[in-house]
Amino acid sequence: MTLSRRGFLNGAALGTACTFASDMTRLDLLRQSSWADEVKKQGKRVILLWLAGGASQLETFDPKPGRPTGGPYRAIPTSATGVHISELLPKMAARIQQTTAIVRSLNTKNADHGGGATIMETGRIKDPGIEYPDLGAICAKELGRLDSAVPDYVSMYTSTEGRRKGTSGFLGSRYAPMFLSESMQPENIRRLESVSDLDHQDRLALRDLLAKKFTQNRHSDSLGSHTQAYQRVRGLMASEKLFDIEQESAEMRAKYGPTQFGQQCLIARRLVEAGVPFVKVARAWWDSHGENFETHRELCADLDHSMSVLLDDLKDRGLLEHTLVLTFGEFGRTPGINASLGRDHFAAAWSATLSGCGVRGGACYGKTDEDGHKVADGEVGAGDLFATILSALGVDPRKEYMVGARPIPLSDFGAKPIKDVLI
Amino acid sequence: MAADPVKLQKTKDIGIPSIAMCVARTPNSGRLIFGSSDFKLHEIDVFAENPQPTSFGGEGHQSYVTGVVLAGPNIAISGSYDGQLIWWDVEKREPTRKVKAHDLWIRRLGISPDSKVIASVADDMQCKLWNAETGEMLRQFSDHKPMTPHNFPSMLHAVAFSSNGKFIATGDKVGHVAIWEATSGSKVGTVEAPGLYTWDPRQRRHSIGGIRALAFSPDNNLLAVGGIGQIGNIDHLDAPARIEIFDWQKGERKHELNNDKFKALVEDLVFDPSGQWLLSSGGAGDGFVTFTNLETGKPIHQDKLPMHVHQLVLNETNDMLFAVGHHKIAICEFKADPSPAAPAEPAKS
Amino acid sequence: MRWFPRIHLAALWLLSTVVSASSAELPSADLPIEQVIDQLAQQRLEAEKVTAAPQADDANLVRRLMLDVAGRIPTSDEAKQYVANPSAAKRAELVDRLLASPDFIWHQRNELDRMLLPNKPNDGEFRKYLLWAVKENRSWEAMFRDMLVGDEADENRKPALTFIKSRARELDDMLNDTAILFFGVNVTCAKCHDHPLTPEWKQHHYFGMASFFSRTYVTKKNLLAERPFGEVKFKSKRKDDTKGEQTAKFEFLTGAVIDEPAVERSADDIKKIEETIKAAMQKDDAPPPEKPAFSPREKLVEVALRAEDNRFFARNIVNRIWDRFFGRGLVHPVDQLHAANAPSHPELLEWLTRDMVAHGYDLKRLIRGIVLSQAYSRSSEWATGALPPDPALFAVAKVKPLTPRQYALALLIARQSPDQWPSLDKPEEWVVRREQLENGSNGYASFFEMPGENFQVAVDEALLFSNSKRIEDELLRDLKTEIVGYLKSLPDNAAVIEAAYQTICSRPPRDEERAAIDGYFQSHSADRVAAIRQVVWALLTGPEMRFSY
Repeated sequence: MTLSRRGFLNGAALGTACTFASDMTRLDLLRQSSWADEVKKQGKRVILLWLAGGASQLETFDPKPGRPTGGPYRAIPTSATGVHISELLPKMAARIQQTTAIVRSLNTKNADHGGGATIMETGRIKDPGIEYPDLGAICAKELGRLDSAVPDYVSMYTSTEGRRKGTSGFLGSRYAPMFLSESMQPENIRRLESVSDLDHQDRLALRDLLAKKFTQNRHSDSLGSHTQAYQRVRGLMASEKLFDIEQESAEMRAKYGPTQFGQQCLIARRLVEAGVPFVKVARAWWDSHGENFETHRELCADLDHSMSVLLDDLKDRGLLEHTLVLTFGEFGRTPGINASLGRDHFAAAWSATLSGCGVRGGACYGKTDEDGHKVADGEVGAGDLFATILSALGVDPRKEYMVGARPIPLSDFGAKPIKDVLI
Repeated sequence: MAADPVKLQKTKDIGIPSIAMCVARTPNSGRLIFGSSDFKLHEIDVFAENPQPTSFGGEGHQSYVTGVVLAGPNIAISGSYDGQLIWWDVEKREPTRKVKAHDLWIRRLGISPDSKVIASVADDMQCKLWNAETGEMLRQFSDHKPMTPHNFPSMLHAVAFSSNGKFIATGDKVGHVAIWEATSGSKVGTVEAPGLYTWDPRQRRHSIGGIRALAFSPDNNLLAVGGIGQIGNIDHLDAPARIEIFDWQKGERKHELNNDKFKALVEDLVFDPSGQWLLSSGGAGDGFVTFTNLETGKPIHQDKLPMHVHQLVLNETNDMLFAVGHHKIAICEFKADPSPAAPAEPAKS
Repeated sequence: MRWFPRIHLAALWLLSTVVSASSAELPSADLPIEQVIDQLAQQRLEAEKVTAAPQADDANLVRRLMLDVAGRIPTSDEAKQYVANPSAAKRAELVDRLLASPDFIWHQRNELDRMLLPNKPNDGEFRKYLLWAVKENRSWEAMFRDMLVGDEADENRKPALTFIKSRARELDDMLNDTAILFFGVNVTCAKCHDHPLTPEWKQHHYFGMASFFSRTYVTKKNLLAERPFGEVKFKSKRKDDTKGEQTAKFEFLTGAVIDEPAVERSADDIKKIEETIKAAMQKDDAPPPEKPAFSPREKLVEVALRAEDNRFFARNIVNRIWDRFFGRGLVHPVDQLHAANAPSHPELLEWLTRDMVAHGYDLKRLIRGIVLSQAYSRSSEWATGALPPDPALFAVAKVKPLTPRQYALALLIARQSPDQWPSLDKPEEWVVRREQLENGSNGYASFFEMPGENFQVAVDEALLFSNSKRIEDELLRDLKTEIVGYLKSLPDNAAVIEAAYQTICSRPPRDEERAAIDGYFQSHSADRVAAIRQVVWALLTGPEMRFSY
């Protein structure tokens, strides 16, 4: 705990140390992680590039050139032998073998924005009576440190359409995202000028001192989390600079480029470099019911550039082997092309990618049929994708949380990791 | 004789398996050559009893065919998203020449009134002129920025020759139009139509729209540009079809028409040879056709068409219209008795 | 296949022939509720050889009662007067005054709202209905009927149907939420299979419940309607299944089956009806669909409320009200009323359930009984040094996080100068102030998370209080009508400390608290207003404000 330089509390009868009774490990009673497990997931990080609104698999990672459903764009070879992706992603094409695995056989069944997003955020179907945590919260809990001075789940969603904050569900608000929706700076992370730094510290210390008597003989996890939230304030305020890309060289900023998504990818890199275990950057909005091809020309250019630079930068800094970069959204888009030359919602056969940590670069798992209407081979659901993600991070997807009397595995019941895309 | 738009009546529509993106017509016939989403050119005689399209053969395009023109009795030239121009022997339906014309997607072709020069525009933001007979590139020019002000790749959708063949206009995604002298390639004017470009900085953070159609008036003085107005929800083509008409030499906007009847994209524009009206057509979920009085800038007549129209042509006597588009070809004639009792129904938005 | 292997989801203890306590052994029905609660709670404590925590002191109790019954903290005067009142009957008097006050109506409305429509917070129409129903002291039974069957023509009751309408897009939402919120049963797992461990809980129970809702739809004009026909089919996923596709019956959780009278319809009739329904769902100007002669939702309400089948409905509401006041259900979690999850106090649950039915599902009556019990008014401190006892014994009061609404109201009351409230002998003035407070609390309420199981305070909240301009501008203003300005006007630090504690924490400070704050003032004497602000801030952000204890 930070002490006032004036030290007004020194020698005060109550002392200054704060304790709290929270037992944050309670959820893990069933399966205590072994030391070996801990080592495996140490320092692992995730950046989720959330393609909100539903990107078209046909204009990205599962092109069907020449088919009636294929659209106008060509497929181009990638650095992985035999793997072709859309010509809208030329920079990524050059990096597939080195960094990225493609899963082309997702069938997540729900093509409604809200329902699909719930499935792809939590890795399972909504279940009344249980609020499931999303991937960010699971990773924050599994990869983060309880007393971390940096945030452990940062979620950026600056466009307004389909905006979702994310949820920590039964894991509790300790693992809720720090949510950036209005600007690139987190809200309330900077001290008001009307409060001096010294006063800011001192009143926090006074608060903790007065709270101590109250919390001493009262046993409650919620109470502990309250104490802890205030104890993390100063540390989080110190992480303000992580969100400031002006701290980067002009050259580095130029590399990421002028788009907001590119800049957010740069922030994501700064965050994982500082130890933030989970960063979600939502790129909205891909919901191209009209003018699918023009929309993807724009958004794929943004994705292709930002993602490539991000992967390169992580690699240059030696972070890529510890950082898993993901792309998916709530669903893909219909193979059928509508009268407005758009594609509609589609969850029956679509794609996701995994890059970096724990991933076999160049692996291409699963197949859709000739026109992309159905999964032809290797069908997987959201649960399997989550099991794969967790496995790539060295987290056992079968590990269970106890929620009341219910054991809830990290990835859905019966979900299996896709071994072919893992190292 | 000038056609009377009020008499327009759809007389036929023909289902086709693909999306027809462009069309040319063999003079004095019902023979249409259309380029399509199946990467092919097809020919169809719409006057036949049971019209069936026949595909052109040989090694053709490798993407959507977005422009086709006829440069002589037996020469068709097509352009595609694959960046190629292909010359075809129409009788044999086989390619005779291929030119790698652009690095990016060709969006449209234009042809000079004397059929000697063709113009291609593509997303490399270049307009290139070609000798229709030899395939030689004559010149190229561009006044279009490769990136939008919002740092996304721009697009160059539209090109048109003036009626006297002297000028060429090119129009891009953000609403910038440049007018060129065809023989020298020097820029002789510009007009701006930013109302056709919607950038959504907040909700969806991408753009939609752009100039999709251009046409010069018979006296060459007016230039019409078409597209779609400002869209609220850019997931859909959800704004009025929009036309702006400029006296381009004076740099004056004469008319601005947001069609309150059809929410749609204008894909094609054709001036009445007598100079009375401007025909615009296109679509969203359905298709439409609107005739605009050039004096008043108000619609004279409008109607639904059975499909989103990508391009259309008129016959020599201007009393028949051939439109191609989403899985359909539609033929309209100007022969109905004007009947106030049967007004056109608005399209569903 | 989705199931929870270790959960005896559905061996419904309610169904078992051995009921935990027969009515004959229960305490007399004529006893006051609080007396029965204390008697049966004490029995269990003695059986477990646990000594309960002492009773909370008056200052603690008045704050707890106000938060639980009125949804807000007491004003400085309210707290002081209660503590100073020497009457032995003061607690009952306070409770009765609160239950009759507008405070209770607002709070009860807010609590029912968050229970019934958690995913659609602050639905104006639904909240209007709840407010009306609470004002009328409408029985829970009648409210259930309003929400499930309702009456589109009755202006007061119509908005209750939002309960179903807001879930009508998904059959699962209608049936699961109804089962969870009104019957205390989560039937989700039985969707795919018979439960392997509890032979009496079959897949057909799930689909039986589904059949009560499968015909429900909402028209384009947002009217709730039902189709006159339609069946739910299901198929077992068991490998040894021989039955093939089965048609679900209208079967309630108790096994009671409702028969639908057979109606002859020609293919033509069916087609016509289908077309009418389609039109109603798609067109604004379509005529409202005819109400079918047989309404499955009406039948569900009928069967769930009739004497031989009402145990789910009655126990659930008793358990949920108990859970609200004690922070834990007699059956816990509250959506798991089944055999493998027996109640902590079976006789008590039985007795309270019987009382609930006998008194026409009067929620206020149960609330009054609970808050007058000694079990309710125990201290939340467990100071023995030993680990606290099993929470199911209710030996020590639970520290409960405030709901966003409670916290917002608490902040708005604490920030006010204590001399700004109407005097206690003018309740009519308080009616107006309370409504203003309720409306004024919307903004702050939206900043905080609704507490659920395992609730944790997000760091966002601590950052908000630490660095937002709004907190600085609205809670720490130097105005004489507000706390900072008021404290500033007091003659010395000692008076400031007394008043700050009394206003914010509803109690006088303890000696060590006086010493700590006095020390703070002395080391921050250069700017007295700033120091007062910081002290107020430290108290407003403290756990005593954030939790009901």
